[in-house]
Amino acid sequence: MPDNWGFVLAAYGLAAFVFLGYWRWLIRKEHDLRALRSDRAMRSHSPSRTAHPRPEPGSRAPLP
Amino acid sequence: MVKVLGWLAALGVAAGLIVGFGVAPREVTQGNVQRIMYLHVPAVWVAYLSFIVGFVASVAYLARRREGADRLAHAACEVGTVFLGVNIATGAIWGKPTWGTWWTWDARLTSVAVVFVMFLAYLLLRQAVEDRERGARYAAVLGIVAALNIPLVHFSVYWWRTLHQPPSLIKPGSSAMSPVILVALLVNFAALALLGAYFVARRTRVLAAEAEALA
Repeated sequence: MPDNWGFVLAAYGLAAFVFLGYWRWLIRKEHDLRALRSDRAMRSHSPSRTAHPRPEPGSRAPLP
Repeated sequence: MVKVLGWLAALGVAAGLIVGFGVAPREVTQGNVQRIMYLHVPAVWVAYLSFIVGFVASVAYLARRREGADRLAHAACEVGTVFLGVNIATGAIWGKPTWGTWWTWDARLTSVAVVFVMFLAYLLLRQAVEDRERGARYAAVLGIVAALNIPLVHFSVYWWRTLHQPPSLIKPGSSAMSPVILVALLVNFAALALLGAYFVARRTRVLAAEAEALA
């Protein structure tokens, strides 16, 4: 029987493609989640840019 | 720990390729195309192992409702599906030069295709149900039912007349396989098992991070 190296190459090449593809997908997902977490952490520590700044208690005037 | 597992898997795969191509001899009847066996057979064993882990974790989730068990079941079933896909594809590639066909509807091939489709449905179900708790419960039931088909796949070659050969190793009695080929097969199994364990560990970590991000 001929050796059919082309079939051997196709089988191993396909497996390498699938396993490397899955590994890269996991890494990308981990990276995205890490970026999301650091983005959230930054937002929770920085002062709000949309709300009105609250004045210091000493400078507040009583309501009429 | 996960990183160490990854490096061990990489070393294992390198060793498996060296043994499969450099040490194992050319098979007498099939020629070098038989070397596909060192990928095709370990891939299905790792898929079986992953589905067994998924089965146990699904039962544990239904009994205790621990999210960790659900995450492990999800990761193991997903990785098992990847390995089963590789097994089916490499089997088709091996089948063409040796059987003369890419695919035939015999009992082994059909039963393994049914299990593959069931696990694809498992992964789709995970995406389809919005309520996480309900989705996890449905998936656990489907994962258990799908994993119960594995003995059917394994014994299909005994119960029906098939084109696929009966098992050479996981069977009663001693194996007629040459010791060198057997060692090459076992080294490749160890390598793919390490790779599967690495994928499951990493996927479980990603699922935990996802749950944390959604909370």
